[in-house]
Amino acid sequence: MTTVALLRAHRRQPLLQALVLSRRSVVALLRQPTVWIPSMFFPLFFTALNSAAFQRATNLPGFPPFDSFLDFLVPATILQGVIFGAISAGTEMATDIENGFFDRLISSPVSRISILVGRLAGAAALGGAQAVLFVLILLPFGASIGGGAVTVAVLVATAMLLGVGIGGFGVALALRTGSAEAVQGSFPLLFVTLFLSSAFFPRGLMTGWYQTVAGVNPVSWMIEAQRRLLLEGFAATDAAVAVAVAAGIGVVSVGASLLALRRRLAEAPA
Amino acid sequence: MTAPIEAEGLVRRFGDLVAVDGVDLEVQPAEVFGFLGPNGAGKSTTVRMLTTLLKPTAGRARVAGFDVVREAGRVRRAIGVALQDAAIDPLMTGTELLRLQAVLHGIPRRHADRRGAELLERVGLTAAADRRVGTYSGGMRRRLDLALSLVHEPEVLFLDEPTTGLDPMSRVALWEEVRALNQERGTTVLLTTQYLEEADQLAGRIAIIDYGRIVRQGEPRALKSEVGAPTLLLAVDEAHHAAAVAALAGFGEERPAGPGEVAIGLEGGAARVPDAVRALDAAGISVNHMELNQPSLDDVFAEATGRRLEGAEEPAGGGGTPAATGG
Repeated sequence: MTTVALLRAHRRQPLLQALVLSRRSVVALLRQPTVWIPSMFFPLFFTALNSAAFQRATNLPGFPPFDSFLDFLVPATILQGVIFGAISAGTEMATDIENGFFDRLISSPVSRISILVGRLAGAAALGGAQAVLFVLILLPFGASIGGGAVTVAVLVATAMLLGVGIGGFGVALALRTGSAEAVQGSFPLLFVTLFLSSAFFPRGLMTGWYQTVAGVNPVSWMIEAQRRLLLEGFAATDAAVAVAVAAGIGVVSVGASLLALRRRLAEAPA
Repeated sequence: MTAPIEAEGLVRRFGDLVAVDGVDLEVQPAEVFGFLGPNGAGKSTTVRMLTTLLKPTAGRARVAGFDVVREAGRVRRAIGVALQDAAIDPLMTGTELLRLQAVLHGIPRRHADRRGAELLERVGLTAAADRRVGTYSGGMRRRLDLALSLVHEPEVLFLDEPTTGLDPMSRVALWEEVRALNQERGTTVLLTTQYLEEADQLAGRIAIIDYGRIVRQGEPRALKSEVGAPTLLLAVDEAHHAAAVAALAGFGEERPAGPGEVAIGLEGGAARVPDAVRALDAAGISVNHMELNQPSLDDVFAEATGRRLEGAEEPAGGGGTPAATGG
């Protein structure tokens, strides 16, 4: 290869590397449907169960004016799915470390950041795809999407950012522990955060400490903004709140995974 | 030209464990250098330092002319690495992995595809190129691993236990590949192995490492001739063991042997076998088995460490983690 070609290649290298590693994550997801199908199935199951059980809750005074509990649950369904799905970015990273693929990567002149980007891009793609799939699946069951395509676009964008946020959390744990079990073990923690929000019930109908906790939980702000979008159609403030919360989670967890990557690479010369 | 691999006083500690304890190496251009030692001797830890995966605790090393700590990035561009257990993503196909590896090394796509096809052809995986690696046999994985490490035409190739766990046929096929590579392109190869035969067959020079230290270094033939006398090896009943050692005491130095065996460095070689037999007979010792072996690398190892490497190997595929398990 000529020197010129080499030099040109070097300049674009980090971007190309991030691209091929992202592609690898997505291809792995497509070839392993068992990794993400449960992440669709369980949220749908809970949503079916809850919307059958709590339909009459929508008649409570103070309940947002949704026609059905199903409509109310759309954002929570997507969020559950993303939590289930995005954590796989962490388990896949841990598997790479366990089986030595990670060493193959770092013994090559790969840009270190692109290892992270590749994993998180996979999580983002999965999150976006899940949001679309959930909407498509719930529509025939009577879910109504106020604001139509624009609202769906916000739901998809939020889900992609959440994919990065939750995936980043899993990747950080994977880099710190090198163990897929440890990543999976963190799962309940994410669900506690979800349950301590207003994802499954309106905050106005909660009482005491539960209401307080749900009130300071940013997940509540995001879910409530999404619900207002679904109920009242597109509003810039609501869209901004939903996206900002998801992006905030992303910033924190990507920061954590960058630190974890630096720590893991501390043994390898820069 | 400077030596492709130079190490001086390389040390690596893990807590209290000294995995590598002052290794000096100088591998010459276009040489196949064998790093021989039992599991946990420090082979993999040394390779991990030379391939920039691990910082040395002390000492320094240069690979392809670059310092492995201060110029790690340049080292990575110059080396090909196939680590233990062929770490390969089972979900991807051979072609895809080669393409990925090419991008990691900054090779433009049009070069990468042609190069990938050539390499697959070379290691005999053309027919399996578009199959997922998860369906490959152990030998196929190792060959793909080798192909991956060659994508960027490295000056120096590191192979960490390339044939551990392989069947004999696959092992020989891989040896031929490494040999051809070295001869055609002059690629410098450092390979670690726990197999005596592998070191003997492939390496122009070897270093024997035990407990993190190099105990012998040189050409296999020279090392073997240093051992001198051939080894007379007997298998006797446990009850006769001490008597057999006594009866043969005048024939040469006792050498390390396995359980139920007696080994003597037979001074004077084959000509003295009849005398040895008569001495054993006179002492009333019944011998179950007897053989006279020309000095082997195992004898070199035994002489240097007081232990035998042969038969001390872990079961095939035992793999195990490098370094940190110590030993």
